Amino acid sequence: MANKKEILEVLKGVIDPEIGINIVDLGLVYEVESNDSQNIIKMTLTTPGCPMHSSISSWVENVVAQLDPEKKAIVTLVWEPQWTPDKMTSEAREQLGM
Amino acid sequence: MVQSESIVSAYSPPFKIVTKYFAVAIISFVILNFLLLINYNSIGGHHFQPKILSINHIATLGWITMIIFGAMFQLVPVVLETKLFSEILADIQFWIYLLGVIGLVYCFWVFNTGILMTTSAILLNVAMLIFAFNIIVTMKRVKKWNVTAWYLSVAIFYLIVTAIVGLLLTINLWTPYIKSDHLQYLNLHAHIAFIGWVSMVIMGVSFKLIPMFTLSHGFPLTNAKQAFWLINIGLLGISNTIFFEVKTFLYFIFTGLIVLGIMFFLRQIQIIFKNRIRKKFDIGIKFSFVAYIMLGLTTILGTFIAFVDYDNIINMALIYGYMIIFSYISMLIVGQMYKIVPFLVWYHKYSSKVGLEPVPMLKDMFNEKFAHVEFYIMIVAVFGSLCSLLFRSEIGLLMSFTLMFISSIIFVFNMITIFRK
Repeated sequence: MANKKEILEVLKGVIDPEIGINIVDLGLVYEVESNDSQNIIKMTLTTPGCPMHSSISSWVENVVAQLDPEKKAIVTLVWEPQWTPDKMTSEAREQLGM
Repeated sequence: MVQSESIVSAYSPPFKIVTKYFAVAIISFVILNFLLLINYNSIGGHHFQPKILSINHIATLGWITMIIFGAMFQLVPVVLETKLFSEILADIQFWIYLLGVIGLVYCFWVFNTGILMTTSAILLNVAMLIFAFNIIVTMKRVKKWNVTAWYLSVAIFYLIVTAIVGLLLTINLWTPYIKSDHLQYLNLHAHIAFIGWVSMVIMGVSFKLIPMFTLSHGFPLTNAKQAFWLINIGLLGISNTIFFEVKTFLYFIFTGLIVLGIMFFLRQIQIIFKNRIRKKFDIGIKFSFVAYIMLGLTTILGTFIAFVDYDNIINMALIYGYMIIFSYISMLIVGQMYKIVPFLVWYHKYSSKVGLEPVPMLKDMFNEKFAHVEFYIMIVAVFGSLCSLLFRSEIGLLMSFTLMFISSIIFVFNMITIFRK
């Protein structure tokens, strides 16, 4: 059974292929919830209608399922609250040259 | 928190169809540059001559509009957040359209102004009507209309008007019936095509893609809305005054509105760039940025032509046309292709492998160094061509067209690299 910290750690391996920065540092992951049978990741994308929509979702599901194969990994994509640049970590800002 | 309707994406691009359109468009771009190169000594002078008309239609139909069709099928889900109505219609449209383009380009080249030219124009009209139907039905599904949807919907209207006026012009070349000057209709056909069809698509899509690629957030779209009204009122107005023998006061007013509208568009783009958080420009954005600057310069030249009697400086129209096609539109298309083609291929080949095996980043899908070389060669070629046209230097044109041809070959090389990745 994986804890929240471990899940966030594997999510750092999910990199936005366009931007080249992982989704945790980009501030796209809003919440990680675990119950007896599921790991639920509530996250967003930088732009509504982002074409990376399904790829990033299945990427997240794949890495979380590999970490914790006993539970079903579920991605819940949300658009509210909307993603803003201030949700990024300082590492991400540095990489973007901000 | 508001949850999205479905995790299963409705946004997957129709790979095979988009690829078909892109492949033919890219080949057209090379053919276009090759034909310019081998005919360098017959370019210049008045624009109404068979070879220029033929090359111009390879550019507008084979290259620009072909790319727009393919890109629209890929981007409609992204910019409008809904699925394309019919992939089958997009496929049927492709073959009818391709036949029409080949027919029309051939007829202009040999200046066969008979039934074959008109039949080709009819095929193009049919293909464009199929496209319009497909996109309009798709747009009816859009729940939340954004500024991009406004721009795209008027673009489709202008596409159809361009096609119909084009058809009427081919009939007129076959059996003359237009009482006023044929060239005035040609002027209308060209302006509706470039400002109405191509630019409305470019502008509408820019408001969505440039913020997405540069991570620009939190800016108002006021200028985009103002530009929309100014350009459309101007364009509709000018379409009605273009036939008057003497340029009227209204003609100048409407021209002024279009110019102002383009300036508002550029101001909006400037605001988007200013708010970006990805400070470094990648190659796709570099091309696009230069293209926007060139749009500004082209508009200044266009204004000059509109307010001055350019009949006395005949190759001004050619310079203007060259700027529109190469320095503004082609530059922008090439830039955007470096953004959307890697995604198209990446999505098709790697989206099922994410998290299971290492996948490349989009920027690793092509040789960025080569793309930079292409960028600088293209800039030199554009300015070289413009100077050579201005000073009527044949050797200058030969050198510039050679450079432009080389840059198109690098572009093809990079596009093939992406598809082979």
